[in-house]
Amino acid sequence: MPFELSYRQTWLHKINPSFKFLLVIALFIYLIFVDNPNLMVNYAIGSVGLYFFFTGHPWKRLLLIALPFLLVFVTSSTSMIFFGEGEETLFNWGLVHITKESLFRGLHLGIRGMVFAILGVVFSLTTRPVLLFYSLMQQLKLKPKYAYSFMAAIRLLPIMLEELQTLRHALKVRGAVGGKGIRGFYEKIKAFAIPMLSQSIRRAHRIAIAMEAKRFLNVNNRTNYYQIGFSKFDVLLLLYFIGVGVLAQFASVNFPYFGIEDVRVIG
Amino acid sequence: MSKGLKLTDILVTIIIALIFGAIYKLWGPLYGIVSTFGLQLEQLLYGMWFIAATVAYLIIRKPGVALLAELAAAHGEFIFGGEWGITTLIYGLGQGFFAEFIFASFRYQKYNMVTVSLAGLASGIVSLLIDVYYGYIGDLAMWNLLMLIGFRLIGAVIIAGVFAHFIVQALEKTGVTSLVRPATSVDYDALDQ
Repeated sequence: MPFELSYRQTWLHKINPSFKFLLVIALFIYLIFVDNPNLMVNYAIGSVGLYFFFTGHPWKRLLLIALPFLLVFVTSSTSMIFFGEGEETLFNWGLVHITKESLFRGLHLGIRGMVFAILGVVFSLTTRPVLLFYSLMQQLKLKPKYAYSFMAAIRLLPIMLEELQTLRHALKVRGAVGGKGIRGFYEKIKAFAIPMLSQSIRRAHRIAIAMEAKRFLNVNNRTNYYQIGFSKFDVLLLLYFIGVGVLAQFASVNFPYFGIEDVRVIG
Repeated sequence: MSKGLKLTDILVTIIIALIFGAIYKLWGPLYGIVSTFGLQLEQLLYGMWFIAATVAYLIIRKPGVALLAELAAAHGEFIFGGEWGITTLIYGLGQGFFAEFIFASFRYQKYNMVTVSLAGLASGIVSLLIDVYYGYIGDLAMWNLLMLIGFRLIGAVIIAGVFAHFIVQALEKTGVTSLVRPATSVDYDALDQ
């Protein structure tokens, strides 16, 4: 996170960032091919458990961060629920045509969107960006010029936010109100993008030259302030997800929530 | 010209990308609000998620910049807790890759509005392809699916193509682009005179 928040360190913070990253990507790819809503609900329960009990942040903050998840749920599911194809009509009003098939498919999409969102937030809440990039350099052999560029860029974000605030005030005080429609929309983008981009490019250019002079490009014989390795917690996270996977599979067969096994083929 | 991107190119690309990453983060709620109306109107706004690649390419004009920009923007949105989570990374990778492919097919020699519009279009197409698996869009009613495809591609061309072109054109007047662009034959000819 750009601003340091106070939180309790948990075992999730101690996991190797590269490992955590790859594991989350692997889960993403796996879950894209899960078409069984019973299984998906169980995975959602597993991810929510990780989010609420092991991220080490206070409950109030976790609930606040969780609000956009509802938006994700709504945006991922509504189109499919209202306009999806299907045979068994539940509700029909003008263009809106809700069928049993589209309803379940939409809910499935909504839940999946939430699982991805939760896993993503669990990752960002428990990983410091600096450690992530050090780990990517050490474990996945990311070139230092990319890693240090990212880290420098992240450090520049607070300055950029401050600039944005100044810009907003400056435009407001001068009574700059954009026109309407697509032209006004473009003018609004321009009023913010041009000053922000030009200032930031100048600054980035200056910093990059200084970094090159300081040999940040050096690949060989590099020493690192942070040495990142593996620990027993990496195994613990892997076991957690294997456990969730096995339980989810077991529960979806023996205690299904819906009588549907594949949202793509219902009938 | 030395091989690959220099640290300057990378840092500038990432900064540009992070600015757009922040815009993406703000764009999410707007997109969400519009999408509750149904009818796929939100798809017109989708093109904003392709703009980092085209703007960065137009500014720096080097191979690899479009892909890096789109990935960095997605990564920025991700590590700052964007509500779409890891989904953004996968989409970012695909969109950046296809935009890069368009620029490569012009051998990185064309910097006009048509080229970036094509890149926006390519990003739009790949996002639709991912949606077939991720969003089951193949199972939408036909008229709705056509609206989704149409609006998304129109939005992609207008925002990632036309807007990106005009933004960079305006940016050229500030003079910052000359800091980061590679020297061209025009520049060398100017030295001879």
